[in-house]
Amino acid sequence: MLNFLKQLKWFFTTHKKTYILLFLTVILLNIIDVVPPYIIGKSIDFITEGSMSKELLMKIVLIFSIIIVISYTLSFVYSFLIWQGAYKVETIVRHRLMRKFLLMSPSFFEKNKTGDLMAKVTNDLKSVSNGVGIGIFTLLDSSAYMITLLITMMVVVSWKLTILAILPLPILIFVEVFIGKKIHLAHEKAQKSFGDMNNSVLEGVEGVRLTRSFVQEKDEYARFYDMTENYLQKFMKVVKLDSLFNPLTTIVVSVTFILSFGFGAYFINRGDITLGEFITFNIYLNMMIWPMFATGITIDLMQRGNASYTRINRVFNTEDDVIFGTNSDHKTDIGFESYGFTYPSSNHVNLKNITIDLKSGDTLGIVGRTGSGKTTLIKQLLMYYPFGEGKLQIDGVPISDISRSDFREKIGYVSQDNILFSKTVRENILFGKQDATEEELQEAIKMSALDQDIENMPNGLDTLVGEKGIALSGGQKQRVSIARSFIKNPDILILDDALSAVDAMTESRIIENIKATRQGKTTIIITHRLSAVQHADQILVLDKGEIVERGTHHELSNSGGWYQKQHEYYLSGGDDDEEL
Amino acid sequence: MKNFKRLYSYTIGERKTLIFGIFLSAIGVVLTLLGPLILKFIIDNYMQEGNVVAKGIITLILIYLGIQIVNSVVAYFSQIVIQTSSSRVIQKLRLKVFDHVQNLPVRYFDDLPAGKVVARITNDTEAILALFTSAVPVIIISGFTIFGIIVASFFVSFYAGLAMIVIVPIIMIWVYLYRKASTKHNNIKRERNSDINAMINESINGMQIIQAFNREETVLEDFSKINDEFYDSSMKIVKINALTNHNLIETLRSILLMILVVVFASIFLDTGTALTVGSMYLIIDYSTKFMDPLYNIVGMLDIIEQARVSTNKVYELLDKEVEDNQDGELNTFTGTIEFQDVNFSYDGKTNVLNDISFKVNPNETLALVGHTGSGKSSIINLLMRFYDPTSGRILFDDKNTLELNKQSMRKHMSIVLQDPFIYSGSLLYNIRMNNTEITEKEALDALIKVGGQNILDKLENGIHSELSERGATLSLGERQLISFARALAFNPTVLILDEATSNIDSETEQMIQNAMAVVSKDRTTFIIAHRLSTIQNADHIIVLEKGHIIEEGNHASLMQENNKYASMYLKQVTKEEIK
Repeated sequence: MLNFLKQLKWFFTTHKKTYILLFLTVILLNIIDVVPPYIIGKSIDFITEGSMSKELLMKIVLIFSIIIVISYTLSFVYSFLIWQGAYKVETIVRHRLMRKFLLMSPSFFEKNKTGDLMAKVTNDLKSVSNGVGIGIFTLLDSSAYMITLLITMMVVVSWKLTILAILPLPILIFVEVFIGKKIHLAHEKAQKSFGDMNNSVLEGVEGVRLTRSFVQEKDEYARFYDMTENYLQKFMKVVKLDSLFNPLTTIVVSVTFILSFGFGAYFINRGDITLGEFITFNIYLNMMIWPMFATGITIDLMQRGNASYTRINRVFNTEDDVIFGTNSDHKTDIGFESYGFTYPSSNHVNLKNITIDLKSGDTLGIVGRTGSGKTTLIKQLLMYYPFGEGKLQIDGVPISDISRSDFREKIGYVSQDNILFSKTVRENILFGKQDATEEELQEAIKMSALDQDIENMPNGLDTLVGEKGIALSGGQKQRVSIARSFIKNPDILILDDALSAVDAMTESRIIENIKATRQGKTTIIITHRLSAVQHADQILVLDKGEIVERGTHHELSNSGGWYQKQHEYYLSGGDDDEEL
Repeated sequence: MKNFKRLYSYTIGERKTLIFGIFLSAIGVVLTLLGPLILKFIIDNYMQEGNVVAKGIITLILIYLGIQIVNSVVAYFSQIVIQTSSSRVIQKLRLKVFDHVQNLPVRYFDDLPAGKVVARITNDTEAILALFTSAVPVIIISGFTIFGIIVASFFVSFYAGLAMIVIVPIIMIWVYLYRKASTKHNNIKRERNSDINAMINESINGMQIIQAFNREETVLEDFSKINDEFYDSSMKIVKINALTNHNLIETLRSILLMILVVVFASIFLDTGTALTVGSMYLIIDYSTKFMDPLYNIVGMLDIIEQARVSTNKVYELLDKEVEDNQDGELNTFTGTIEFQDVNFSYDGKTNVLNDISFKVNPNETLALVGHTGSGKSSIINLLMRFYDPTSGRILFDDKNTLELNKQSMRKHMSIVLQDPFIYSGSLLYNIRMNNTEITEKEALDALIKVGGQNILDKLENGIHSELSERGATLSLGERQLISFARALAFNPTVLILDEATSNIDSETEQMIQNAMAVVSKDRTTFIIAHRLSTIQNADHIIVLEKGHIIEEGNHASLMQENNKYASMYLKQVTKEEIK
């Protein structure tokens, strides 16, 4: 519990004044809250003694009203400030997390799955926020409440009766914490089982054609029945634990009242306390139940908040593994020399002895089977990973001296997995160049053969894509990605297998456009279709991270190597007995 | 409301238990209200200052304890009884919806995202469950409690009872205003929250692009904007909540106590005789028990509203008509399929197939060729009986398919879809599905025959390895092979292959072509071909354009005709050579 508060010290110190105010408010509030029962007890005594009068009643009503108004106002201030704090923490930490994510290199995202990171932003953040909100609310409220109540009961009524009557109450804390934990565990299991059930339905629906073609309807139903039954069993476990709460509370509270009445009778008999005081005492006793519960809740909330904040902190404490320089004064000649690279998580060498000399303005084609290292090579250039051994220079300057953002400014990158954002088509293309003119936009659309597609979209360029919008086909997504890079008119254009889902005709149209407009600018094309690199000044064939062939299309198609075989395979239309 | 009534029919079989549970709760309420009454008795009869009767107190205290214990036990069991039987009711509903979905025409799934169907079956039914487990019992019990307290208060003192009654409409008005004020902001807050999560998720997935284009700052700015909007709308709710909610309930409770003090004092001042201390205690005790049930009922309004919306959604789905199925069994089937003047339209307006006629004999291979939208997939849809023709006939062994039972037809066919679907489960499950007539050995053989040895080598537990969700760790080619193995293991009379459109690398392509050759041997085969090179050996090739058959024949004859097919073929094959 204390650890949690310590972890969030930065927040409490910046909002010191608020929290001091909070503290004062809560103490004042609790002192005021014990007055009404006292008044009630006194009033009953006045009535039974026969000393109640109109004037006295007026006075009581007046004091009562003033207290109600003050109490309401203080409660408002208190509750407002607490929740404000909770949401502030949530907003600030979320902003920091996002900023951190944006600064991290791909290896960070490989180590941490999207689902895990999302869990930090959603569940963990919520626990922290709950800890700062409900957690601190109940911590301050219940401890202040309990202390004021105890003091009042002891001073105003009888300290002996107080101690005797509240003896069983700490059991409530135990009940709350112990059963609470069990419920939490059972609940997680039930949630998981619900998730499985959900998934089974999703599969049933998504695979509906398959299920029907293989006549599996009855079996699917049986599978689903098991899922619902399993969930029901898990759910009932939660219910059984949950149902224990109220009965246990009732019994503990009853025992408290029995003690109060038993000993109360004794003290009244002795004349130590009046009947009115006894009534007051019982109202206070009723009021003690909540802080007992709250202590349990607080402990639980703070523990969870602490665990969550520790997980979030782990993200903050991760350092980016790519170190880069500040040099921004260079051209775009790219030179690899005996370059080698191994992914941090990989158990074999991913790039070996790579030597490439790519002068500004040239076109480079890279081919090779899946997993041969084509994309790895490009990612080195994009400075996504720590640099390997050997030399990688831009215009003769080692890449580690070069400013990453300045160099990336020169690149237009179309990645393999066509990533679009849930925005309009226009916004997605303008992502490449935000201040582009309408003319540039139209040009980019035409170049990437998107014009026809956009015409057919419900709102043309302003059609939303992704989650909230329409689903684009793979080919359309690829061409929007290409347009995004075209509009930037970059010094270096990189297409990483970016035309795989586009049909052959459209592909050749795009390649023609690239040839026509990229005169004098560097273009790197990675592909499985050899037709896309035939015009390249230089073609590399990669295999297991090494360059195994290099040359122009003409040279390679007669070299007797992999490239020639591939070329012939396509020419023949593909034969079953062709060995690779 | 009408749908709520229909929902009631699902309680058949559980009704008695449900009523028993509610009856138990009612007993609980009576016992709860009895407790303070006993304490009143103790105070009034045995606890006068200087005149305490120990024996009386002890007896009553023991009775009190007994009542509380019985109350606890009753409360425990009433909860469990109600929760169990309502869960059973919802399970029944859930199974019914699932079964219904299984029998809906495939057409229905074309227009509706899978997520929505799933939400009907799981989430909406869960919302309805809350109606049974929370809303109904809470409202009944709280109603009992409120009623009991008011009645008891009237017995003690008319004015005290009146004070209690007055509080009720005040709370109701507050609820109305509170909901009005907070709903709007709550919705905005929820929306912003999901926007935020969607944006973070998307940014993580698109991080490489954001970074490659140096857009970190802009993205962070956009993010800050919705993050701040979330904060702002949250603060509005915080303000409303701090003004009302618990704070107001506490205040109303204090006001009620104050009114009661005035009532007690006035009775004394007006009549000169006071209520007994015990009576005053009783009413004060009741008044503190009075607010919570009111507050609880309010909390249930949301649950009822959600359940109402969900019930309507569920019934909207249940009211969709299921497919009518025919009785005619197709027991034996040689594999002769004939289309006679088939016309077909998805929407009843535009025809996607026009006068399609062809015949395929047993063990022949028919290839369908044409651009996207030419009608290839529609022919497959008709063949699988996912849809039926608008006019014309389809004959299986000279039997009109419209008179045949769909399942009995499908038992003779296997299909390989172009984006193969992988179920979560083992590799074995994905090959033989639930069909245990296929032995493990047969499944394994099928996989190896289509060339899936590589997949086996990669997996730790061979054919028993669990595949990840949607086969995420498998390549497209590997998923294709699994679906080929599935088709082969089922050993169908008719095989339908939908070739993948996207341009996969040549190795995978060869892998798949080998598999196709293995699987299509000795059975009637339909191929939707995208690469014309794969179908040179087909017995029969049909070229489709805009739903019409424009050419047919085999590879050689079509090449000779030197028309559409020939030009498509030449374009594909020589595209490498152009430059």
